[in-house]
Order: sequence, then C-alpha cells, then structure tokens
Amino acid sequence: MNILFALATGIMFAMGVFQLLRRDLIKAGMGFYILFTAINLLFLAVGAYNGSVPAYVDASNRPAGQPSDPLVQALILTAIVISFGSYALLLGLIAVSSRRFKTVDSDELDQLKG
Amino acid sequence: MPNVLLIGPIFIPLAFAALGVTLSRYRTLQHGFGLIGGVLAWLSSIGVLLENLQGNILTYRLGGWPPPFGIVLVGDLLASVFAVMATTVVAAGILYALGCKDKCVRYPAFMPLFLAMGAGLNGALYTGDIFTLFVFIELMVITSVILVAISDNRLGLEAAIKYLFISAMGTLFLLIGIAALYATFGTLNMADIGRLLANDQRPLLAQAAAVLLMCAFLLKSAVFPFHFWQPDFHTTAPTPIGSMLSSVVVKVGIYGLIRMMTLMFTAEAPLIQELLIILGIIGIFFGSLGALRTYDAKRLLAYSTFGQIGFILVGIGWGTAAALSGALVYAVNHAFVKSSLLMITGVVSSRTMTKTARLSEIGGAGKTLAVTSGLYFLGGMALAGVPPLNGFVSKVALARGGISAGHWLALGLVVGAGVITMLYMFRTWQWIFQQPPAGEFKLKPGGDSPLAPALLIGLCVLLGLYAAPLLDIAARTVSQLSNPQLYIRAVLGG
Repeated sequence: MNILFALATGIMFAMGVFQLLRRDLIKAGMGFYILFTAINLLFLAVGAYNGSVPAYVDASNRPAGQPSDPLVQALILTAIVISFGSYALLLGLIAVSSRRFKTVDSDELDQLKG
Repeated sequence: MPNVLLIGPIFIPLAFAALGVTLSRYRTLQHGFGLIGGVLAWLSSIGVLLENLQGNILTYRLGGWPPPFGIVLVGDLLASVFAVMATTVVAAGILYALGCKDKCVRYPAFMPLFLAMGAGLNGALYTGDIFTLFVFIELMVITSVILVAISDNRLGLEAAIKYLFISAMGTLFLLIGIAALYATFGTLNMADIGRLLANDQRPLLAQAAAVLLMCAFLLKSAVFPFHFWQPDFHTTAPTPIGSMLSSVVVKVGIYGLIRMMTLMFTAEAPLIQELLIILGIIGIFFGSLGALRTYDAKRLLAYSTFGQIGFILVGIGWGTAAALSGALVYAVNHAFVKSSLLMITGVVSSRTMTKTARLSEIGGAGKTLAVTSGLYFLGGMALAGVPPLNGFVSKVALARGGISAGHWLALGLVVGAGVITMLYMFRTWQWIFQQPPAGEFKLKPGGDSPLAPALLIGLCVLLGLYAAPLLDIAARTVSQLSNPQLYIRAVLGG
C-alpha cells in the first residue's frame, strides 16, 4: 500500500510540475491544480502510515486492522477548499487577462518589464 | 493564560468584512464601518500587547479543545509586536482608502477584501498551529491577489497572475513541510513540535521540513532567490494595498522565520543564520542598486523594500540578543516608514493626469505641494537613517547587534549600503519635489488625502524621539524568545 501511495504521489508531482512549466497559462493552471491534488494525496499517505482501515465506522462491521488517522482527512478537506478557491480565482484571472491582453501565452504577458 | 482578547484582532476584521458585504450598496456606510473595524482591531492588538508586557503569554483555545489536539491562538510578545505593527499600518491604509480617488476603491468588494486581508495577517501572527498558519497565509494571499487584480493599473492583472503562480509554489513548500512534520511527530501544534524537537534526535523528515518551511517563508518575504515577483506585484497594486503589501505583508515571512528558528528548529538555527546573512547581504545590494537605477517612484520603493528586508535578515542572521532585537526594531520602523512613503507617492501620482508614478512624468509634480514634500523628505530621511528619525534608531540598534556578534565584514557592508539608501531617497525627493516640471504641466485638483501618511510620519518622528519604549519591548521580546520553554509551557500547560 505504501509503495502505491509513493508511486502515485510521485507521478502526480511530476505531471504537475511538467504542466505548470507550460507556456499556455490554462495548462499551467491545470498543473497548479494537479500539484495541489498531489499534496492531498501526500497528506493521505501520511495518515495511512499506521493503518488504512476507515477510522469512523460501526464497530460491528469494521474490518480488522489498524484504523487510519482521521485528522489528515480533516486537513485534506481544508486544503481542498483552499486549493479549489485559488484555482477558481486563477482561472477567472486568466479569463479576464485573455480578454484584456488578447493572449494566454505567458511569454507574451511581458508588459511589466522595467 | 487563557484570554478571550486574543480573538479580537482576527475576529473583528472578519466580522466587519462580513458586515461590509451586506452593506455593499451603501458605500459611505461600508467604508465607515471598515474604518471602525480597523481601529477596533488596532485597539485589541494593543490590548494584547499591554497584557503581554505584564509578563503573561496569552492563549485562547478555539472551540475549547485542549492543545495539542485543538487549534490554539497564542499571543506572546513576538506575535504581539508584529500584530500591533500590522494593525497600525492596516488601520492607516483603510484611512487612506477613505480619501483615495482610485476607481477600484469604490468597488463594493474592496473594503471587505481589505479587512479580510488584515484578518489573515493577524491570524498568521497569532496562531499557534502550523496548519492554521497555512490557512491564514492563504487567506492573505488570495485577498491580496484579488485586490491587485482589480487595480486601476491595467497591468495589475498580469502581476496578480504571476504572483498567484509563485505563491502557489510557496504554499506547496509549506504544505509538504507540514506533511513532513506531521508524519514525523504526529502533531501540528508548534509548541508541541518544539517540545518534541528539543531532544537531540533529528529524524530525516524533520530536517527536510526545516528546509521546506524556510523556502516558504523566504518566498513570502521576497528574499533573494525568490524575489522576482515582488516589484511587479507591489508596484501595480492600488496605493492603499501596495503600501500594505510592501510594509507588513512581507513581514509575515520574517515572523515565520524567527518563530521557526527560536521555537521549533533551535538546533538548526546556527546553520540557517549563516545562510540568512548571505541572502540578506545579496538582498541589500541587489535591492538598493535596483532602486538606484529604477525610474518609477513606486517601483523604486518596492526595490527598496527588497533591500530593507535584507537588513532585517542580516540582523536575524547575527543571532545575538542585541542583533535580534535590532532586527525587530528595524522591522517595525521599516513598516511605518515604507507604508507612509508609498502613500505619499500615491498622493502625488493621484494629482497627475495619467496617475502614473514614472519619474519622467511626475518629476516636478510636487513643486507646489509643500506639505507632501515635507512628509516625503521626512520619510525618505527616516528610511535612510538620519537622526532624529526612527530609521536612525533602527540602524543603530542593528549596528550594535553587529558589533556584539563581531561580524565585521557584514557590518561594514550593511553600514555602507545605508549610504545607497540615502542616495536614492534624496535623488527621488529632488526629482519629484524640487526640480521644475518638464514642459507644460498641470496638476489635477483633488487627489488623495495625505492625512494617513501624515499620521504615519508623525509616528515615525515620535518613535525616533522616544525610542526607549520600542527598544525596551524588543529587548524583552528577545529575552522571551531565548527561552522557548516559556512558550511551550504557556501553550501545553504543566
């Protein structure tokens, strides 16, 4: 299980970084979101350190084994809300800037030199 | 010591922001309540500081959960000093916004966002939980990005997009660091992490966490390798917002660094300090020389912030008690000086037809503005460190720290760089206020009110003449910081 988490987090980080470095701002924005999802997965992996059985289920039908840490799941909820908000804001800004500057190419957004 | 006063500086601005949203149709009422909110937050942060000066460390458990399980707010002297600085500047910024003629100030979302930014700032300072620190920093980042994106300067949008991407990287570092700390210690409470790190065991992940947190905080205060977003972002912001960003928002990273080095990673501190001296000196020269060759009055001040943050970092890097208290005094004084200078520049550029701060266009614009000219001169000299203004006090406090650390090369470079500050501030003052305007030039009637910067400059003069209270508070803060057990005991009890 641990190796699966490690691989998944690593692949998502790689995808996110690659995508973030694209010139197209919308694709870079997607990279932004993939990176935050990778972080959420990292947090989940931290919680599954001790066990991966759901923490809050009825004692009658709980599978055997060590329960996982519920705190990280609360943290992930907070992180999802924040990253969702930032992503929505980012897409909104890109939409306005594509109308104002007539481009979504980050190399052409260079009027601030000086 | 449990005290409900602590939620004031965070909750009051948030409550007034919510009130401002409901009053979005009545601009005068909304702005009036905004100012009341800012002043109340200022008063409550002063209340916390006064309580701290009695020798107490205040704590407040949100929801009544005992630490280390619940979220706890902690008001020790370090947090309170930074918070009083932040709320003072934010209250002055709101006052400036009331007299500001920019179009974006009239948007219904402006005042609630401004107050939410203040709440995020105070929350990041007062929280004792590292994940809540992330939440409040994000609140601050998102509100400031929106405020810059709606700026009258059409390039504000470009700067906002750039900053949102870069600050996302900082957030990423911070979150990975938090995950690493949680994986190692199973707690997010800073006092608890400090307690667990106090023994000699150094798990590998904890060291990685130290590096990641440091990167995140350096990015937030725009220190050398992470600085390139700062001049764009601070220059294109509306004047009341830009003066907040360049003076108090960059100090959150400084606060985080001090907190991290004195509470959590005390054993790694010497290594971090050596790095900070180098980064600080690079920042000082890069920022000061950048300011010298910049021909835009606001951009020049943004570069100067980059340099001044370097001075503070060198002070932290020297690490002795005198140097650290010098750095604190420097941080507080710089916030007042820089915010007032940016506001005065905004006052002058609001009187020009194009509302620009380019020196080629506003050169000579201030020739008839005697009061503004005097204020800018005082502010510039305070930044350069001329007695009897507060900049002199902070330079002397910092130099005393350098002498106590015996770090002569760095001290020489720091004192030498002070001359460059003098050079560019004096040059800019002459350019705007002394030389005759080029060609046909007409001042627009009206413009922004210089009341808020006048109050801040008054504070600068006052802090220069009566420097003893601030120096005393800084010394007491450092003596409290030198014993992290005080903080840990106040939070965890026992």
